[in-house]
Amino acid sequence: MPRRTDIEKIMLIGSGPIVIGQACEFDYSGTQACQVLLEEGFEVVLVNSNPATIMTDPAFATRTYVEPLDVPTVSAIIERERPDALLPTLGGQTALNLATELKEAGVLDRYEVQLIGADYDAIQRAEERELFRDAIDRIGLRVPRSDLAKSVKEACQKLEKLTLPIIIRPSFTLGGHGGGVAHDLDSFCSIVEDGVSASPIGQVLLEESVMGWQEFELEVMRDRADNVVIVCSIENIDPMGVHTGDSITVAPAQTLTDVQYQRLRDASLDIIREIGVETGGSNIQFAVNPDTEEIVVIEMNPRVSRSSALASKATGFPIAKIAARLAVGYTLDEIPNDITRKTPACFEPTIDYVVVKTPRWAFEKFPRVDAVLTTHMKSVGENMAVGRTFKEAFMKSMRSRELDVEMDDAAGTEEMLAAISTPSAERYDLIFELLRRGTDVADIEAATSINPWFLGEFEQIIAREQRLRGRQLADYD
Amino acid sequence: MRGYRIGKGVTPVYKAVDTCAAEFEAETPYFYSCYDRENEAVRSGRDKVIILGSGPNRIGQGIEFDYCCVHAVMTSREMGYEAIMVNCNPETVSTDYNISDRLYFEPLTLEDVLNLVENEQPRGVIVQFGGQTPLKIAEGLEQAGVPILGTPQDAIDLAEDRGRFGEVLRKLEIAHPPYGTARSRDEALKIAARIGYPLLVRPSYVLGGRAMEIVYNREDLDRYIQDAVQASHEHPILLDKFLEDAMEIDVDAVCDGEQVYIGAVMQHIEEAGVHSGDSACVIPAYSVPEELLQQVKQHTQDLALELGVIGLINIQYAIKDDEVFVLEANPRGSRTVPYVSKSTGVPLAKVATRVILGEKLSSMDLPSEPAHPHFTVKEAVLPFSRLPGADTTLGPEMKSTGEVMGIATSFPAAFAKAQGAAGQTLPTSGTMFMSICDADKTQAVELGKRLRDLGFRIVATSGTAEALEEAGVPADPVRKFTEGKPHVVDMILVGKIDGVINTPRGRGARADGYEIRRATLRTGIPCITTMAGAEAAVSAIEAMGEPGIQTHNLQELHGNHTRSS
Repeated sequence: MPRRTDIEKIMLIGSGPIVIGQACEFDYSGTQACQVLLEEGFEVVLVNSNPATIMTDPAFATRTYVEPLDVPTVSAIIERERPDALLPTLGGQTALNLATELKEAGVLDRYEVQLIGADYDAIQRAEERELFRDAIDRIGLRVPRSDLAKSVKEACQKLEKLTLPIIIRPSFTLGGHGGGVAHDLDSFCSIVEDGVSASPIGQVLLEESVMGWQEFELEVMRDRADNVVIVCSIENIDPMGVHTGDSITVAPAQTLTDVQYQRLRDASLDIIREIGVETGGSNIQFAVNPDTEEIVVIEMNPRVSRSSALASKATGFPIAKIAARLAVGYTLDEIPNDITRKTPACFEPTIDYVVVKTPRWAFEKFPRVDAVLTTHMKSVGENMAVGRTFKEAFMKSMRSRELDVEMDDAAGTEEMLAAISTPSAERYDLIFELLRRGTDVADIEAATSINPWFLGEFEQIIAREQRLRGRQLADYD
Repeated sequence: MRGYRIGKGVTPVYKAVDTCAAEFEAETPYFYSCYDRENEAVRSGRDKVIILGSGPNRIGQGIEFDYCCVHAVMTSREMGYEAIMVNCNPETVSTDYNISDRLYFEPLTLEDVLNLVENEQPRGVIVQFGGQTPLKIAEGLEQAGVPILGTPQDAIDLAEDRGRFGEVLRKLEIAHPPYGTARSRDEALKIAARIGYPLLVRPSYVLGGRAMEIVYNREDLDRYIQDAVQASHEHPILLDKFLEDAMEIDVDAVCDGEQVYIGAVMQHIEEAGVHSGDSACVIPAYSVPEELLQQVKQHTQDLALELGVIGLINIQYAIKDDEVFVLEANPRGSRTVPYVSKSTGVPLAKVATRVILGEKLSSMDLPSEPAHPHFTVKEAVLPFSRLPGADTTLGPEMKSTGEVMGIATSFPAAFAKAQGAAGQTLPTSGTMFMSICDADKTQAVELGKRLRDLGFRIVATSGTAEALEEAGVPADPVRKFTEGKPHVVDMILVGKIDGVINTPRGRGARADGYEIRRATLRTGIPCITTMAGAEAAVSAIEAMGEPGIQTHNLQELHGNHTRSS
């Protein structure tokens, strides 16, 4: 199916200022989309309040509005520019939420603006927890057991059917903002209260905790002829309970058996179809119980995301660019892969190396802030490294952090073992120090629930380090 | 070690990221290093430049630097060079393999960079666009014989070394706040006695103002030295006289060794003492007297030429009692470069790249003075709502993660837009809470009057309410948090307050305002902590009364100038 000819002018919404949970990955995706749409001969009207972005360079759009991303302002721009379509899936949660609000305020209908990339119903199904749960149920999968609440009182009533620990997630927020994990009634009440006020619709999800399960993500793309490709699998080294943005992640997934991987693949295809993302990319997160191999679906983002930027860089498969082409009518088999230029985008990428991503935090700037990592993202940046082996990629990623704070390694072994049971920015430095001191991998696994395969790799890195320690260059001549 | 390794023939090779595990031939050169056999990154015969990126985003070094790097890459390509990008941040445009001729996805350490420089044999390396990250390794690169393009290492050192920079200022007869460099506690106390409090103290060589603080007395200084020594190892501590209530000015300029092009003079809205990255600022500098503006421009020109800058320079000034002081000069791309470029329509990073690669400003047909048909306000976006427990007071330590810009035909309207874009939409009616330190009470009375004229009810802490009432501005007193319930924090939490103006002074007062600021954060109402910010906000609220929303696009503001350059 070729490019659509019924639309000429497309509005693209950017993600606004860089905040925790929404960083320059959306400048990357938006810049790619703008370039593609201009190349395809469309007029592009871009709105983004962030002047530091590349995408707001005047050359990347026909009309560039550096204006506030709110309904009144964007309505005024729509009235002035009269775009035929609005592409909301490349500007993060901000763009998706704003598109939803514009639809609900009747602005899109009044000016006959079509949503492309993901329609209103698909956005609702992916973002509204109950709708999402029902959709997942329909295809024979399950999400963690959960319930909704709009107040502390209601939440306490719901507690009768759920058992602590419980994860609290406010609806429609970025980076899990306002949520957390409650282990006792007191923290439960206070997190629910914060979550209700953080959610633009005053609602939180109370969810069965799957802490300690392994976390995986798949990047999926679908076109309007219903072709689906899996771009990349990503494994979170930190088990469930740490936001994926705060987790060290690896692509491709390292510890899945082929059978498990095929199950996640099949599930992803079913999910993107059932949610009804007609064209474009989605990120789907799964938790896998390490003992029973049970799978639960955690969430789906019907848009490009931080993980899709990572997947694009990890594989060379430009998700945002392809999503923009799919949104204007092309199908995966019609889009050439711009690295090989011979294969079309319906060829799934294959990688013969390992990629590791490590977050970068800024706790040293905020002395009073609790530096524990939770389901609420706190990192401000990340690095990625590529290597032939996991060990090589991991060590490169560690040295890409550019840390300017040194770890205090004078702590006692017991103290450090206790410290690693709580996820933190220093967790891996502590694990390495423990391994140096000869701590058993099984003890570290018990404290962290990190898959022993990764811990085994770390142990080998330390074993090599210790073989080199204390030797002189002359020893090697 | 490095020499030994190379001597043994142990050098890395580069493999291509090709989407297909080498099953098909890759055409887009995107590489990573490994110690393996076949090198897939075979050097081309073209003239090349390497641009070093800014690594992982952090507070103080974000997307602005990626913007500059991408511009440097695009311009180098336009000029016919093979542009080679090096960065390790997967979120960025610079690591989109379509942007550069070649992309190396590598850590930005000296060793990793030297390895790929050896593989590529470029004409030189550009280090001035990636923030502190490439600058940290520039010296090592130069020592290894790698040509640094643009501002030479010695000029960077000249600007960063206090003693040498002081000499330059003396020679040019440019004023600066009295300062000293202390390597011990005794030395610090001696310097403090010589130049007097308040002092701005910080460790040497940091970006984003880490561990920077204003100290008001000896006690504060003692406490700081204990903490700071930890943060800065054996590096010395820098002490500057802090110019309280001064107005801060930022200038971005490009120098080609002969001529200086001033991108823009920005006026900060918050007073000196708030980190420039956290302060709102406006182009043009609308309330700086013309004579001082000329002085700022002249200083910028003199300094850029004297330091020997080839490329970008950012200079921060403070104006106090009609005197211009230089606070610091950074001979590299700054975080305001993209804002300036979008405000004026002149793409400064591109201009700088041309200069770095040998072109002269005189050949570039730049508008002699950028036209300012509009006011643009840049506002910082702070991460407090995502970091529970964070103290939200602004100070010399940078805390913001991002920024927004508001464009309008007047300063107050642009400020109102910037606040709205930053998620702090100003209230146009309701109740305003004021708690103002004694030094600012006269100004507070004037603002109180204007708020009343706008129809606001005013509630205030007892001292502030008294001052307002005395001047005939009705204000209802309310208890401070520490005075017990019912207090203002509860009022904020139950939604009875629509905006807060709270200007703390000194360490104790700052801690006192912590609960108020936390409450405003929770309810999402604006909390203004400086008098200058309050003045701008009240003017903006007045401007918000005008009907209709004016929108502006950059193409209509700047014509085709930006597109052609």
